[in-house]
Amino acid sequence: MAPYLSMGEAHRRIADYLSRVADSISSSDGAALASLLAVSSAPPSTPLSDALSAFPDFPRLAADRYPHLSDLLPTLLRAIHSHSLIRFADAYSSFEKAANAFLQEFRNWETPWAMEAMHTVALEIRLLAEKADRELATSGKNPDKLQAAGSFLMKVFGALAVKGPKRIGALYVTCQLFKIYFRLGTVHLCRSVIRSIETARNFDFEDFPVKDKVTYMYYTGRLEVFNENFLVADQKLTYALMHCNPQYEANLRRILKFLVPVKLSIGVLPRITLLERYNLLEYADVVTSLKRGDLRLLRQALERHEDQFLKSGVYLVLEKLELQVYQRLVKKIHIIQRQKEPAKAHQIKLEVVVKALKWLEIDMDVDEVECIMACLIYKNLIKGYFAHKSKVLVLSKQDPFPKLNGKPV
Amino acid sequence: MAAQGGEAAAGSDAKPAVSTGMEQPSPSPYQPSASDHHLWSSSTGASWNYSVDNSNQNTVYYDPQRDVTVSGSAENVTSSTPHVVQSTMGATNATDSYAPYSNSVQPGYSTAQYPNYYYNYPPTANESSVQQGVDQNSGAAYQPLTSFQNSGSYVAPTSNTYYNAGAHQTAPGYATSNHYYQNNAWTGGSSGDNHTQSYQSYTPPDTNAAQSSSSLPTNSFYYHPQYNQWSYYYDQSAPNSGVPAPAIAVSGASDIKAANISSGYVYPSTQPPPPGTTPWKSDAGTPAAPPPQPPGTPAFQNQQANQAAGPPGYQNQYVNPTLGTPGFQNQYANQAVGVPGYQNQYANQVPTYQSATTYYSQLPLSNQADQQKALSWQGPSLNVSSVNHVSGSSQPTLQGSTTSDAHRLNKIQIPTNPRIAPSLPIAMPKAEERNSEADLSKKPAYVSVAMQKNDVKTAQDGHETVTQGSIPVSLRTYVGRNVSRCKDDAQRSAVQSILKEIITKATADGILHTKNWDIEPLVPLPENVVSTNMTSSSKDFSPFPFSISRRSPGRRVKSRWEPVAEEKVANKVEVTYKESAKSSTFSTSDTTKRAGNSWGLGKFLQSHQASLSQYNQRPSKKQRIGGNASLTENGNASSDSDKDQDLTKHYANAITLANSPEEKKRREHRSKRFERSQGAGSSKPRSSASDKDKASNIYTRRSMSALLNRSNVDGLKFAVEDLDWDTLTVKGTCQEIEKRYLRLTSAPDPGTVRPEDVLQKALHMVETSQKNYLYKCDQLKSIRQDLTVQRIQNELTVKVYETHARLALQAGDLPEFNQCQSQLKRLYAEGIKGCHFEFSAYNLLCVMLHSNNKRDLLSSMASLSKDAKQDGTVKHALAVHSAVSSGNYVLFFKLYKTAPDLNSCLMDLYVERMRFEAIKCISKSYRPTVPVRYAAQVLGFMGIDEACEGAKRADGLEECEEWLKAHGAVLTVDNTNGELQIVTKDSSTSLYMPEPDNAVSHGDVSLAVDDFLARTS
Repeated sequence: MAPYLSMGEAHRRIADYLSRVADSISSSDGAALASLLAVSSAPPSTPLSDALSAFPDFPRLAADRYPHLSDLLPTLLRAIHSHSLIRFADAYSSFEKAANAFLQEFRNWETPWAMEAMHTVALEIRLLAEKADRELATSGKNPDKLQAAGSFLMKVFGALAVKGPKRIGALYVTCQLFKIYFRLGTVHLCRSVIRSIETARNFDFEDFPVKDKVTYMYYTGRLEVFNENFLVADQKLTYALMHCNPQYEANLRRILKFLVPVKLSIGVLPRITLLERYNLLEYADVVTSLKRGDLRLLRQALERHEDQFLKSGVYLVLEKLELQVYQRLVKKIHIIQRQKEPAKAHQIKLEVVVKALKWLEIDMDVDEVECIMACLIYKNLIKGYFAHKSKVLVLSKQDPFPKLNGKPV
Repeated sequence: MAAQGGEAAAGSDAKPAVSTGMEQPSPSPYQPSASDHHLWSSSTGASWNYSVDNSNQNTVYYDPQRDVTVSGSAENVTSSTPHVVQSTMGATNATDSYAPYSNSVQPGYSTAQYPNYYYNYPPTANESSVQQGVDQNSGAAYQPLTSFQNSGSYVAPTSNTYYNAGAHQTAPGYATSNHYYQNNAWTGGSSGDNHTQSYQSYTPPDTNAAQSSSSLPTNSFYYHPQYNQWSYYYDQSAPNSGVPAPAIAVSGASDIKAANISSGYVYPSTQPPPPGTTPWKSDAGTPAAPPPQPPGTPAFQNQQANQAAGPPGYQNQYVNPTLGTPGFQNQYANQAVGVPGYQNQYANQVPTYQSATTYYSQLPLSNQADQQKALSWQGPSLNVSSVNHVSGSSQPTLQGSTTSDAHRLNKIQIPTNPRIAPSLPIAMPKAEERNSEADLSKKPAYVSVAMQKNDVKTAQDGHETVTQGSIPVSLRTYVGRNVSRCKDDAQRSAVQSILKEIITKATADGILHTKNWDIEPLVPLPENVVSTNMTSSSKDFSPFPFSISRRSPGRRVKSRWEPVAEEKVANKVEVTYKESAKSSTFSTSDTTKRAGNSWGLGKFLQSHQASLSQYNQRPSKKQRIGGNASLTENGNASSDSDKDQDLTKHYANAITLANSPEEKKRREHRSKRFERSQGAGSSKPRSSASDKDKASNIYTRRSMSALLNRSNVDGLKFAVEDLDWDTLTVKGTCQEIEKRYLRLTSAPDPGTVRPEDVLQKALHMVETSQKNYLYKCDQLKSIRQDLTVQRIQNELTVKVYETHARLALQAGDLPEFNQCQSQLKRLYAEGIKGCHFEFSAYNLLCVMLHSNNKRDLLSSMASLSKDAKQDGTVKHALAVHSAVSSGNYVLFFKLYKTAPDLNSCLMDLYVERMRFEAIKCISKSYRPTVPVRYAAQVLGFMGIDEACEGAKRADGLEECEEWLKAHGAVLTVDNTNGELQIVTKDSSTSLYMPEPDNAVSHGDVSLAVDDFLARTS
């Protein structure tokens, strides 16, 4: 591994690191401190980590030299050391202690100079926790670190959700929390944070940094997708899309991944070029089926990408597009009939629809199709009524197929 | 009454113990109360060891005592030493109370006496007087049986506290002198530290109002004990308080009394089961208090007493304690006098801990020395606190009045300080007043008599005690304790040689008399399996903090499991570790609380629970209290709730062991030990102030060290994870196939737990039974319970849960189904075979139809494997999902008719909603009419296939018509063919969802009265 390192050199390197940390704190240099706290991004072997390996007594060195930071520095060094040894669970544990100590200090600093460092800590603790959980999971232990990181970040949020300049940093932590909760599948925990962000008087949403706002809107938009609150979801995701830095295509893609289904569900279809550009072709068939009224294609598309859609959580949204596809189908029948037989353009026989579905190899009996027609009327996708006795769908003369116009079904 | 104070003084530890004792003695009252599960478990269930044993055998009595003594013995010793020192002040309260206690301890004590006792107590603030009378009687007879030392020791702690308080308040110089004294005598090296520590602790109490956050930890400490005591307090004091205290001083006095009472109360309760019960009842009996309720946990009664008495001053105090730290301050401020009780508790706790340590982990000598140091440090803090608490006013009176208690003590030859009495006397007069007013009606005679006696005796005895005895009694007891533990001669000789060394060393160091032998850990028995973990861990860290945290749990284990064979000790210790580790993670205040509470737990489950229940039951602030309690107790108990089950099993084992011959032998040993100690107790020990200081310091120390502990927590946790729970698991022996379900409130009794083969039969019995669902549900629950208790997780378990889930589905019992479903999910995840697909289909249906949580549904769907999606039941469930999501009611009812397995049962619960949705849709989209026949067909009122017989179709038609009418549809008869039609346009505005006609107010039809009666009859 690392070349042999003399004790003196190791000592010097560690002391140098320590002094840089202490100096950045004493000089209130947030950026410098932030870079020094970035543990997880370090490569396995750095001058510092080598020194730590060569000089095992580093915790005492740190504690002796900077007694006022004795909670922070030794644990931080331990975290760096463990991380360099690929012992992530240990690294996480140490880092959490260091982070707690740092939070303690941070609370006492009146100005938000260390916000950048705090954010680095928040990010690092999440990344470390994810690594640690992977490690724990592979060794068959209970991966609970990410959860612990979540509760730590809640503490950080508590420290930031105050009056004063520090509150600006709260949204970043919120976003980190979202990431954790989404990963853990405990999205219900987001609610309390959202509530305090959106209702607390000390927060003015526009004050937050744009990048945090975009992230926040992305996640809250996703939450609304889960709740099938398509209008709000559309609003939030659109905000995220509009404000997202256009250079970050990956982020744009992420937003679109949820925005496209949401838009579909309120009747707005994307161009295929958009899907191509952001590599969202899994939606291409869905869009096509909507355009054609091809129920079979929709079902095929859903089946083909079922796992993907289920995982991202848009499956149920896409599934609901079925009714729109039926609407399209009936509309097509109506158009054809109008050409063939203008006098009876507004009377569609049920058997015609059944036959059309047969062609699509959709196996439905008359009653079911009748039921679907009733549903279309009931859900305002078709204007008109159904005459049971004669099994005829009677369309309104005026705008028989109203557009959704941004309203969900 | 003084005795109570003494008990209280015994400390938080003592309190729990006491409380436990109480509970144990009075099993009947406790059992009913389900609230104290843990406690109960120990008391009611197999864990009955204590109570049952006690009632049956003398030895039994000893057991509880023994527990007390074990922990207590150390305490006693300490106390005794302190006594000497303290004797100057006023040990009256303590002594009095103790004497009675000792009596109570003894089996001879009849419940009748107790009630009297208690009666006296509640009404009279003069605990001492009443108790003395009673106690003496019983005491004389019983003393031999019970361990005198215990009583003496108990008294001693109290006296110490009292003493301290008195000294502090009256003469600041005194207090300081004490401190110095202690330091010098005790710890040569650590004296400086002691000083500071003790002071710290001291200060916070003084500055009650202005306590700083830093002081909080210490405060919290006090609080816990206080809590426990408070409850007692209330019970007893309530009557007294009935008379509003005009002056603060008065209130204070009353408080003191109360504290005393409570403490006294506690003790008796701990030891003899019967007395404990009686006391409670008596309390309830008190004028204001409602009749004692059988389930009535101690707390309950307390509430009643409080409410009834409704003394403003008391209630205030109550509230404050409940509040927590802030409350604490208030309390202090309010009750200067009240403090003594607190102090007492503390004192008790300290000793208990040590004893616990000794008992469980027989630490190497070096460790012991450390511990002693720690103890000594703590001692001062205790004193300080007590001082603070006790108001100056009490002292003057006290000194004068002192010592009826002391007298008695002398007689008993318990080393008590005459001075201890002072606090009591002070309280006494006031108490008398109150008592006379409030409770005279009940037992005026007792009160008055007792009081007088005390007064007369007081002054005289005060100083005698101190001078006696060239060899401290505490040392003798200590030796006796050590020796009596030996199982055979080899051990004995080994222990004796060790003891000799210790003593010679002590003599050489000149600390023979100053050393607190009560606190001294017992010499490790050579054979003992005592956990190596304990020792090692203790070595690693400052012995003190650890010892405390561990010990408390360890202690608890010990006490709980007393009967358990020694081999188990190791496991127990580990458990304790866990708990301690966890606790240490919490803030210092938590740890302290823990110490107190856990302690109670440790000693006797019951006590623990009792304290809890008491908390909860405080009238004024139940909820808050509950919260606090949960915090504290949960620290140990609930936080490892998952472990609890295992623990309970373990208990059960312990229980079984309890009756084994081996255990009996051990009990005999213990009783012998007590006898010896009695003999030793005759000579008066010399205690040094240092002892007290140690004890008191422990607290401060502990609180401070709690922080230190945190870092060590991690290390401890690992040990816990490696526990082998298999050794702790209950193995049932019950052969009866049928068993009613009863939620466990105590450790399971193997005698009532069915082994696997019997459970198999039981399951078969349920499956073939013709009885109704409620019966089957009950049976299945008991099967599940037995499985859980024995940690059986195999295909039988799966089968039981599946059976139950299916039955629940058929009965529409969703809550029960969900319980089974979640268990099944876990079991399947562990790879146990069963009808996995079937139940994942049920899960899907349940989520989509009943919880309607999209995320859950998504994850359920995402978790389906490819194979699962090919399963018929799952396919059906997915089809139902798509029908529901697209609103295709025709398909839904088609699927409903063709549902495999029990899918239809789950759909059943959704049918009503689906029909209503469908009829809304129909009436909006159809014009002008729809035949009812068609509606009946698509809405699932009749079979879909035309082949259905005519009669059935007619029935369905009729049913559909009724349903439509019930939901406000407008029907008309068609002119042409006479068929019934739905007029859709009119119906679309008139449809409504009727109130379910089978609704019941509690929302669960299955709980209808008829069913309930059928079930219970």
